[in-house]
Amino acid sequence: MAQTTAEEDAKLRARFERDVVPLLPALYGAALRMTRNPADAEDLVQDTYLRAFRGFAGFREGTNLKAWLYRILTNSYINTYRKKQREPQIVEGPDDADDWFLYDRLGARSVEGSAEEEVLDRIPDADVKAALESLPENFRMPVLLADVEGFSYKEIAEIMDTPIGTVMSRLHRGRKALEKALWETARERGLVDG
Amino acid sequence: MDECGPNCEETLKEIERFLDGELDALTEGQVNHHLSDCNPCLGRAEFRRHLKDLVHEKCAEQTLPPGLSEKLTQLLRSDGSPTGTY
Repeated sequence: MAQTTAEEDAKLRARFERDVVPLLPALYGAALRMTRNPADAEDLVQDTYLRAFRGFAGFREGTNLKAWLYRILTNSYINTYRKKQREPQIVEGPDDADDWFLYDRLGARSVEGSAEEEVLDRIPDADVKAALESLPENFRMPVLLADVEGFSYKEIAEIMDTPIGTVMSRLHRGRKALEKALWETARERGLVDG
Repeated sequence: MDECGPNCEETLKEIERFLDGELDALTEGQVNHHLSDCNPCLGRAEFRRHLKDLVHEKCAEQTLPPGLSEKLTQLLRSDGSPTGTY
């Protein structure tokens, strides 16, 4: 072991900055969708960044850094902000009756016969964000991790420390709840009839 | 499922996992085969793919808020070592 601790440290520090910094905008976005508030999101990112730095020596290079970071983010969020917000944990979601809620409604009620996809495109970004943020946390998290961040079911299960079957059912119900929220938004914006 | 044939219900049941890229190769092949042949199911699949892409595009953040990057750099400088040795 010729390397001194200081050298190892400098290397680790450099590798941390090189690998983690590019992931920060996405991490901040996820924090924002979780906390629903920019000040809390900044605090959460800072907390996550510091925890990740302190634990970085235990991270095995070449394994999934993004999933590792999101796991830290999720744990920090749960430990700090969920307590603070005291949001009731809603386990029940929309029922299974209506798997094509949005598609069927947009097809029947879109203004001037525009395609279903076009109606979606006209919903302002801020409204789509608000629709996602309106979901109960149990459903918001898997949708965020799958659709915004692009994680696989297996990665989400690891990040959330939840069985994969639970991830799949929450993701399914979360997406349905999101469709309902987007439908309400489209109505409020006058993008659809009724 | 409306104007669809007997395979439609099975296909639509798999659409979510299909779009998530989570199906095994055999089932994925069956879904692809059905979609190439059935416009109503294809329309539904395309709508869902569009929705998934839209959520990604509209909900992802591309930049950090002003000042956060500096705060994070500062945070690392003032913290000890990642090896935890001093």
